[in-house]
Amino acid sequence: MGKYILKRVGYMVLTMFIIATATFFLMKLMPGSPYANQAKMTTEQINIMNHQYGLDKPAYQQYWIYLVGLLHGDFGTSFQFNNQPVSYLIASRIGPSMQIGVQAIILGTLLGILLGAIAAIRKNTWVDTVATFFAIIGRSIPNFVFAVLLQFFLAFKLRIFPIALWEGFSSSILPTIALAMAPLATTARFMRTEMVDVLNSDYIELARAKGNTPWQTVAKHALRNSLIPVVTIIGPMAVDLMVGSMVVENIFSIPGIGDQFVKSITTNDYPTIMGLTLLYSFMLVVVILIVDILYGLIDPRIRLSGSEGSN
Amino acid sequence: MKFSSFGKAGLVSLASLFFLAGCRGDQSTTNSSKDQVLTRMEGDVIGSMDSATVTDAISGQALVDTMDGLYRYNGSELQPAIATKIANPSNGGKIYTYTLRKNAKWSNGDDVTAKDFVFAWQRAVDPATKSQYAYLFAGIKNATAIMNGKMKPTKLAVKAINAHTLQVELDHAIPYFATMLTNPVFFPQNEKIVKKYGSEYGTTAKKLVYNGPFKLTDWTGTNNSWTEVKNKFYWNNQEVRLNKIKVQVIKEPSTALNLFESNGLDDAVLSGEAARQMKNDPSFTPRPQSSVFYLELNEKKIPAFKNKNIRLALSKAINRKEYVEQVLGNSSIPARNVTPENLAKMPDDTDFSEAAAKDTKYATNFSKKEAKQLWQQGLKEVGISNLNVEFMTDDSENAKKSAEYFQSQLESILPGLKIKITSLPFKTRLTRSQAGDFDLVMSAWGADFPDPITYLDLFTSNNSQNNGGWSNTKYDQLIQASKTTHATNPQARFNDLLQAQEILTDDQGVIPIYQRAEAHLINAKVKGLAYSPSNQYNFVHTYIAK
Repeated sequence: MGKYILKRVGYMVLTMFIIATATFFLMKLMPGSPYANQAKMTTEQINIMNHQYGLDKPAYQQYWIYLVGLLHGDFGTSFQFNNQPVSYLIASRIGPSMQIGVQAIILGTLLGILLGAIAAIRKNTWVDTVATFFAIIGRSIPNFVFAVLLQFFLAFKLRIFPIALWEGFSSSILPTIALAMAPLATTARFMRTEMVDVLNSDYIELARAKGNTPWQTVAKHALRNSLIPVVTIIGPMAVDLMVGSMVVENIFSIPGIGDQFVKSITTNDYPTIMGLTLLYSFMLVVVILIVDILYGLIDPRIRLSGSEGSN
Repeated sequence: MKFSSFGKAGLVSLASLFFLAGCRGDQSTTNSSKDQVLTRMEGDVIGSMDSATVTDAISGQALVDTMDGLYRYNGSELQPAIATKIANPSNGGKIYTYTLRKNAKWSNGDDVTAKDFVFAWQRAVDPATKSQYAYLFAGIKNATAIMNGKMKPTKLAVKAINAHTLQVELDHAIPYFATMLTNPVFFPQNEKIVKKYGSEYGTTAKKLVYNGPFKLTDWTGTNNSWTEVKNKFYWNNQEVRLNKIKVQVIKEPSTALNLFESNGLDDAVLSGEAARQMKNDPSFTPRPQSSVFYLELNEKKIPAFKNKNIRLALSKAINRKEYVEQVLGNSSIPARNVTPENLAKMPDDTDFSEAAAKDTKYATNFSKKEAKQLWQQGLKEVGISNLNVEFMTDDSENAKKSAEYFQSQLESILPGLKIKITSLPFKTRLTRSQAGDFDLVMSAWGADFPDPITYLDLFTSNNSQNNGGWSNTKYDQLIQASKTTHATNPQARFNDLLQAQEILTDDQGVIPIYQRAEAHLINAKVKGLAYSPSNQYNFVHTYIAK
């Protein structure tokens, strides 16, 4: 297990290095300068600025300088936020995005598992139809539509929650619900399909024959085996949610990172693009590793590596 | 693994959290008139509070609120601020001597002196400061050489004769020099503080000092809300009535509207559907901006665009009023000239753009019949029967909708015209515009200072911003005269500019489309709001009525 994880971490570092390299050179191909006032500056003025920022050097030299900085923990300074270190920019804005992301993934998957399981157990009854209906709605309506509706009815009309802004936990509830809809629906769908399969298998028959009640059978025997596909999709879904949703963050005026992610690209804010890409890929590779380890915990039959056998 | 029990426990705790939060659900942003607190919004964050390197309007507003330059706009009136009066130049318009008020102080108690201006200006033109607005200093003696790295910043011709006398020497007379001084790049800076924080100067509310009506607080450098509180060190603080201005970044118009209607904002900015919906509300206030959108025709690439009748036909086939109302819906104004309205006044106090439109309004008036006639005539003169052009535009929702509108309107009115739309990200579009790699492009220009020359300069033959390549000798001569022989004679100068504007519009060297406006909803209790031609509020005299 230890050796396996070590090997995986090695691959993770390699993966991130490749991502960083590819992003850096692709980013340099984007037309335009990172200057907000590009429209009004003459070519000579832009050249002077490029010289000051070292952007007139060949791309491979800039890449080397960036890598050296990175090894010293320096992610550069942002262009959109003048002179603000990228590490500070990310650190100060990732919090709210992570918070609503984590809350949404917990809420969404727990309710999704519950809904999916109930639908499977009560297969082909009205309960199943209702659960499937909600899953389809959650899947097909974009989260910002939920966000706007939740804001209008629960905050503006009924005044149960704040309309927007970021002032304590209550501010995070509506965006959490809006963001939880998609993971809820996806989880429920996977859960139902897998659970139906599992419930038809021989060992479930055996469990029933031994006199377990249907609920006992599900809780003790079926649930755990049905979780494998759910765990597979939770990982990437969680990373997606944690790095922020621009639209939902904008609707609730949440000071998250979602908008900066998009804006850094449209404004050619090179250091911010790199910093956020590295963060995103880091979270993704870590989550993938965690998911792989979780497989083994949920289903001991899955082996983590050929040499080590089951654990 | 006890997933089921874990799940249950999680659900219960989540549910109870929701319940508790629900009980708390109050609006913490409600305002109260007795506190003299104004709550407003911006569409984005503050990028920087370093007046030398600031580039965006939001930071610009925060600087105007918290700093004081030589002059300050109150509405459209230019008033002395740190300077005791509006200075008249000497030596043929080349030397300005400003007397500074002795009671001006920084928020750390230091006096604001002429040295603070000298320091700030030298710093702004120093290439190492990386100021994107340094070019505004270009007319000051030696500034250009310094910006090109050929001279030391200390050679800039601005000096502190004594603590309260500042003298500036220009290369040549700049008639609009006074209006430029309201731009934050000309604000003073406290050398001690700038040196203390180095590259971190102006990156959070604590890392700078203020000499303006308010002080910035609660700004971490990257957050979505900040507060401006009354500055007791401001020289004119007895005039300031607001205790606090709370600013919140809101990007979604429907959120702005919901907040305004539940008293969470005193001044909300709307756009799109939300703006259209509130158009007849009593609190609806359009604020025209000094920003004009126009079509540039690439005469170097499409020979047909050299033909005046073709350009006029394109202009007259556009129903600007319908476009502004139906596509934009934010109370923007159909443009008659490339110089916007409410920007500058003629010496006789009439609006410059309006005065220019008197004789030339026909070139931008919608007329299907005239457009068709001019088109046929133009095609005949050029010797073609049809014209295929690519219309390059930004990839924003608004820009795309606009392009489709122009495409359908122009193609339906002008037979033989085929338009292909290419929408590109802003920076890509800009790079192609500047490289002359386009047929037809929608461009925009915002005024750096409120004088027609900020627009008219763009379309002289040799200007690097003249992407379309329209050229007119008489026009060039008039602009040149306005800067040289007539520079110190306002009447003659404005006559030059007016004539130049008329030539440009008559000829449709570029096709003006609309002047942008912001749709605001303003609480009726907010009084004394002054809005300047540089599109900034002056909150010095603002108060909340009981």
